[in-house]
Amino acid sequence: MNHYLLKRLRQSLITLFLVSVVVFAGVRAIPGDPALALAGEERSPEALAAIREQYGLNDSIFEQYWRFVSHAVTGDLGVSARTGLPVDDAIVGALPVTVELALLSLLFAVVVGIGAGVIAAVRRGRPSEWLANGLALLGLSVPNFWLGIVLVLSLAIAVPVFAASGYVPFGVDPVDNLRRMVLPAIVLGSGLAAVVMRQTRAAMLDSLSADYVRTARAKGLSRRQVIGSHALRNSLVTVVTILGLQLGQLISGAVVTEQIFVLPGFGKLTIDAVFTRDYAMLQGVVLCTSAAYILINLLVDVAYSVIDPRIRLGGAPR
Amino acid sequence: MADGREARDGGTLTVALASDPDKLDPSLAQTLVGRTVFASMCEKLYDSDEDGQLVPQLATELPEISDDGRTVTFDVREDATFSDGTKLDADAVVTSLKRHRDIAGSARATELGPVEGVEATGPYSVRITLKQPYTPLPTVLADRAGMVLSPKAIEKYGKNFTNHPSCVGPFKYKERVGGDRIVLVKDDKYYDADAVHLDQVIYRPIPDGNVRLANLRSGDVQIGDQMTPVEVTSVLTDPKLKLFNSPSMGYQGIGINVGNTKGLGEQPGRIDTPLGRDVRVREAFEKSLDRKLINKIVFQGMYEPACGPVSPKSAIAPGVRASECPERDVEGAKKLLKEAGVKTPVRFEYTVNNTPEDIRLGQVVQSMAKDAGFQVSLRPMEYASMLEETDSGRYDAFRSGWSGRLDPDGNIASFLTTRGAMNAYGLGDEKIDELIARGRTEGDQGERAKIYRELTEKVNAEHTLIYLYRQKNYVVAGKDIAGLRVYGDGLVRVKSAGYAR
Repeated sequence: MNHYLLKRLRQSLITLFLVSVVVFAGVRAIPGDPALALAGEERSPEALAAIREQYGLNDSIFEQYWRFVSHAVTGDLGVSARTGLPVDDAIVGALPVTVELALLSLLFAVVVGIGAGVIAAVRRGRPSEWLANGLALLGLSVPNFWLGIVLVLSLAIAVPVFAASGYVPFGVDPVDNLRRMVLPAIVLGSGLAAVVMRQTRAAMLDSLSADYVRTARAKGLSRRQVIGSHALRNSLVTVVTILGLQLGQLISGAVVTEQIFVLPGFGKLTIDAVFTRDYAMLQGVVLCTSAAYILINLLVDVAYSVIDPRIRLGGAPR
Repeated sequence: MADGREARDGGTLTVALASDPDKLDPSLAQTLVGRTVFASMCEKLYDSDEDGQLVPQLATELPEISDDGRTVTFDVREDATFSDGTKLDADAVVTSLKRHRDIAGSARATELGPVEGVEATGPYSVRITLKQPYTPLPTVLADRAGMVLSPKAIEKYGKNFTNHPSCVGPFKYKERVGGDRIVLVKDDKYYDADAVHLDQVIYRPIPDGNVRLANLRSGDVQIGDQMTPVEVTSVLTDPKLKLFNSPSMGYQGIGINVGNTKGLGEQPGRIDTPLGRDVRVREAFEKSLDRKLINKIVFQGMYEPACGPVSPKSAIAPGVRASECPERDVEGAKKLLKEAGVKTPVRFEYTVNNTPEDIRLGQVVQSMAKDAGFQVSLRPMEYASMLEETDSGRYDAFRSGWSGRLDPDGNIASFLTTRGAMNAYGLGDEKIDELIARGRTEGDQGERAKIYRELTEKVNAEHTLIYLYRQKNYVVAGKDIAGLRVYGDGLVRVKSAGYAR
């Protein structure tokens, strides 16, 4: 077990090193001089020279990379070239926003998607199925930015139930937090809810025509028990797999949603850093995201190896 | 434009800005949105009033300038205190001015370049000596170069002043969450604290204009800065919102590459394209454009046609009025192209910012120029990439603009002087250089106005920077917000603002 763990740890570190190279090079591959982006309208040659000097942009690419990596391993991701604020603080501040948004969206997608999927399967051929199918099609087709604006206009302006933008931490004011997070969660979760609904419906239709459901009915179980305890339970295996696969898209979709609702999360941080060519901020955000993915993968692999010893023994069953 | 209603004490005001301000350090700051935040927490030696006239702010009177124009003296207030409790005095002014000029990465170095020395001649008296006469200095001191920083904060935080800014102002810095908010609270030590009504001002960057507007309507923000004509048009019918506007001191137009072969600050070279080498082709292009129609189609008629670098509203040297701008003349344009002997259609690329408004402008220019015999292809680019391309001379024509300064020199010198710091056009003309030099050293206002008139004619005759329109600063506020002021410098002033009684 220890040997396997060390091997996976070594692989993760190599991946992290390669990621740091790709992040560093990728950030610099974006067209547009960061000094120009920083100086903006008042870009005198003196100001540009001073900015380049201050942020070490005149140093060789290897020196810049070494500076970035040697600081990053100590947990120092530098300061934002635009605002002068520490990148570490910005990331620590943005992380809870995006995580909360992703979790609430997931919750919305699961509740609405599974609920609508079950109704569509159970009431096949009736108006409620058409309605559920129509809503799913809408959820898949409507772009996030449009849905966001429509929800703001209707539920934050016409009937001011929710706030149009901003973030208040849950720990500070739970009610205000939800008032600000419900609409973004609906917008971000709508696409996923539609996918979940379609998958649930398809899986439920399969299950409902399966022999074990017929047997359950023949045993005299109530309709609720047949659907809830037998058909739905079996259908969820497919749905959970889909949810896992779609989670990455949820995080990337947060970029647009955070812009619409002005949520200070990872997506907004990334977009702002790209537009201002804030190398330190962009490197920090992308590196942290990649490190999180690597860590999660590592943990999942370790978990697999605990569940199935054949994995850590290295290969197919003998 | 100002709201004269009295505000009641208390409350928090949230202002939506078009982007996140950069560093909150007046020596290093570059952005217009940053200036709006500074307007609430960092007072300057001078300020501009509603008519664009210079008025004292931390100085007690307008500066005295010696006969040879090389010595500028003024006194500062004796009752002002920085937000960290330090008293304002002449030494603090000297420290700040020297820091603005000398700190590494200074964004004020160019505008304070002519300053040779600064000294305190008394506890509250300051003398500035100049390398040569420099008439724009007082207006320079009405912007970030004139902001006085707490010497204690400078000493304690050095370059990290940006995270602990301390100045004299109605509000003081409380906290900043990058990309989310900047929070300022009322400074009870402020010398005019009785005139300040709000407890707190929060600045939030909301880049999308539609989202800014939606937040205004929902009441999540009370003031929206830098609104575009499309958004403004819909505000006009909203009974809960009020529109403020002021004329911009800047300009927007089309810059043509006539000699930028090696990049900014280099000696102009030769551009061998019909547009770059032949002034008649450039004049024909300008004649093909209809400024009034551009304003009507692209900006809903909410901006003003322009044909010179200086705003006609300038209190120092009023520029050409919109009514004096030349009309569209397609036949004249065709005739000029014929005289120039160029093969039509004359093809060139027009680089624009990839915003919907800029692309719309590009399409209208494209269509108008086609009538005269030009084939314009649009090249939309993201802002930072566009700056890189145009500064290095890799373009034929581009959307060129400037937010404007109170003194005409601020709209002209860097852009039109041969090898000027922002002369991306590669313009090199001795007569223009001479007029610019005369304009910055001439002390008599009447004479200066004449110089800038002549300069405008000369620049327009080159058709290198075709001035098209002047924006207006549009600010939208809730009807219940009183005491708000928006002047020609485009800043939202909330010192006396608050919720209406």
